[in-house]
Amino acid sequence: MAKTYDYLFKLLLIGDSGVGKTSILFRFSEDAFNISFISTIGIDFKIRTIDLDGKKVKLQIWDTAGQERFRTITTAYYRGSMGIMLVYDVTNEKSFENIKNWIRNIEENASADVEKMILGNKCDLDAKRQVSKERGEQLAVEYQIKFVETSAKDSLNVEFAFYTLARDIKAKMEKKQEASNPPGGRTGAHQLRANEQQRKPTSWLSRCSVL
Amino acid sequence: MDEDLPTDFNVIVVGTGVVESIVAAACSRIGKDVLHIDCSDHYGGLWASYNFDGLQKFIKEVKTEPNKHSQVYNLEEKWYINKDPPQEEPKEDSEDGKAEPTKKVWCQADFTSEYRKFNIDMTSKLLFSRGPLVELLISSNIARYAEFRCVTRVLTWLNDKLMPVPCSRADVFATEAVSIVEKRMLMKMLTSIVGYNDEEMNNEFKDWNDKTFKEYLTHKGLTPNLIHYVLFAIAGGTESMPCLEGVRECKKFLMSLGRYGNTPFLWPMYGSGEIPQCFCRLCAVFGGWYCLNRPIDSVETKTVDEGKTVVVVGSKSKTLKCDHLVIGINECPKDFISSEPAETCDISKAIFITNGTIMASEKEPLTLFRFPPLNDEQNCVTVLEVGPATGSCPKGLFVVYLVTNKVKDAESDLKPYAEKIFDMSGGDQTATSDKPKCLWSLFYNVKDTSAAVHSGTDCVHVCAGPDAGLDYDRAVHQAEEIYKKICPGQEFLPRAPNPEEIVFEDGATPGPEFQREDEDAEGDKE
Ligand SMILES: Nc1nc2c(ncn2[C@@H]2O[C@H](COP(=O)(O)OP(=O)(O)O)[C@@H](O)[C@H]2O)c(=O)[nH]1
Ligand SMILES: [Mg+2]
Repeated sequence: MAKTYDYLFKLLLIGDSGVGKTSILFRFSEDAFNISFISTIGIDFKIRTIDLDGKKVKLQIWDTAGQERFRTITTAYYRGSMGIMLVYDVTNEKSFENIKNWIRNIEENASADVEKMILGNKCDLDAKRQVSKERGEQLAVEYQIKFVETSAKDSLNVEFAFYTLARDIKAKMEKKQEASNPPGGRTGAHQLRANEQQRKPTSWLSRCSVL
Repeated sequence: MDEDLPTDFNVIVVGTGVVESIVAAACSRIGKDVLHIDCSDHYGGLWASYNFDGLQKFIKEVKTEPNKHSQVYNLEEKWYINKDPPQEEPKEDSEDGKAEPTKKVWCQADFTSEYRKFNIDMTSKLLFSRGPLVELLISSNIARYAEFRCVTRVLTWLNDKLMPVPCSRADVFATEAVSIVEKRMLMKMLTSIVGYNDEEMNNEFKDWNDKTFKEYLTHKGLTPNLIHYVLFAIAGGTESMPCLEGVRECKKFLMSLGRYGNTPFLWPMYGSGEIPQCFCRLCAVFGGWYCLNRPIDSVETKTVDEGKTVVVVGSKSKTLKCDHLVIGINECPKDFISSEPAETCDISKAIFITNGTIMASEKEPLTLFRFPPLNDEQNCVTVLEVGPATGSCPKGLFVVYLVTNKVKDAESDLKPYAEKIFDMSGGDQTATSDKPKCLWSLFYNVKDTSAAVHSGTDCVHVCAGPDAGLDYDRAVHQAEEIYKKICPGQEFLPRAPNPEEIVFEDGATPGPEFQREDEDAEGDKE
């Protein structure tokens, strides 16, 4: 099967429960926003392939599966992630304050050079706003992370956010490749698949017994 | 936050070890409401992997709060290197940068600063490439949450030194130590072992029930060296291993050859602690609730109307109810353990961090080495050596696990073996020697709680702890047995759909429709 992409990036969504992570994922992958059922179903990850400077970049974006609710995200969730969207809700002060805790969590569990971006979601709800755009920007400057306000509902800046994060990861990767560093030393690790080409153990033996 | 947690569930699972996590995933997968909790702040219980900081916390806890880890005892930690780096700077090589690369001198401070690069297992195990866990991971689609590495070599101890065991066909051919005649005899014998079947006992083995495996191998005309390879390295046995047990172990080994790489074994990237977490992820994706740091205070069964029994669990001033409670043996109140588990033998374990591999190799090795017993009382000692490529430690180091049955205590049981393969003297790390330097060690005993236990009630299911065996087979088997009691007649972990197979129907339909597509068609869609 020919590879249909040039790069595969694993991205994560992180942030308090209810800030709109799953909605953002849906907006980006399905271009849909459906208030009624989104939060009731478990989303594992979604895939969308985008075009960046002539390269096909396959984005595999993982959702927290509700394990953010009581801060029980598995360490396994962070493994191999190359980019993380940190999401808060502009109408929820607490979710903004918690961004710092999530960053600490990322520092503890994700790879040290993971790309990050902060999203202030639900910016369509201006009347209920508790966190100003300026405070979001300030926080981003403090951590030297890019920042944008989004609305999954109105499809505002969601595309932009993912393209920006993907572009930053790609740039970092290409720089690394130029320095001819083997990428992360993870070669040789593999995922188990059902259709793995297999040699039968019996053939191993029968061919031996022909000795 | 606590008020967001519902109180009524179909199944509550207490403890996040391998057995508990598989049961949680399986129940959630078919639509049961599952709450999965653990009293500690991380996943895995005794099956966890720790970074170096987490490991230090664990060691401290065992020493200061022995009740919290009542199953771990005789814990001895030891450093063989200095606390801080040497005072004088190593030679400046700023002139042309071409100075000989000197071997790094590790100090304790390096371990502290690089703590995140360690993933050290409390229970290190391998997966047989065609064993039940690999098959389950694939058939359930949980395999997508983990990555594995192949064990690159199997070693044995022969004539007082380490020797590679030929595993693949190519290896057998390449081995000059074995003559053509011997090879033919070996292959004939291995073929009959592969033909062995528990149910329809074939003629070959029918008279071997009460004899040892060694007697069988001798009878088959194998030379002493070949007997050594098959008995100790392939079957992982001892002189007294019963014949049929040896045959079964050998068959398992042979059947797993040739699937992924040169040996029958796989190792999970970032350590064995990932395994329970993968199952927890699936449980969560299908709606399971997770709470860590959540001890339980009480467990009661209550009979409600129509003779139905519910289990009531008190936890942090909350009363939780469920139809079935699945609980790790260490969390389970004693009055729910009806019979004392059968007399078992506790486990002696040791972990070593060294500055090199036990036997040089071209590429970074991942090694299984079964050390034949040095005395009659012991079983073989299982040695697993993993390097930086597995995500277990920083570059330049190896982590080595030793496991055996307990005779005296972990240190007395295992140190004699460690001394044969490591230089345990401390001292100059740059000195060239044939053995790697041991930089740090930890010895500990673990109670063997792996025997199946019954609670005396149909709605409380007790999960075993880790066993001393090489693989996960017992844990997977037990999880399936418990699942069958909770969900009789239901498929065990049917394949979870890939995200792209989930079709969302707009409008009133409350949930997604799962559509299974032809595996092969997947690639054409993009
Ligand atoms: N007004 C508005 N509501 C949103 C937006 N994004 C998400 N929501 C709503 O916020 C709630 C939580 O969203 P969800 O995606 O489940 O959040 P998650 O817990 O972070 O995954 C849902 O009711 C969404 O409909 C947004 O951009 N604007
Ligand atoms: Mg969500």
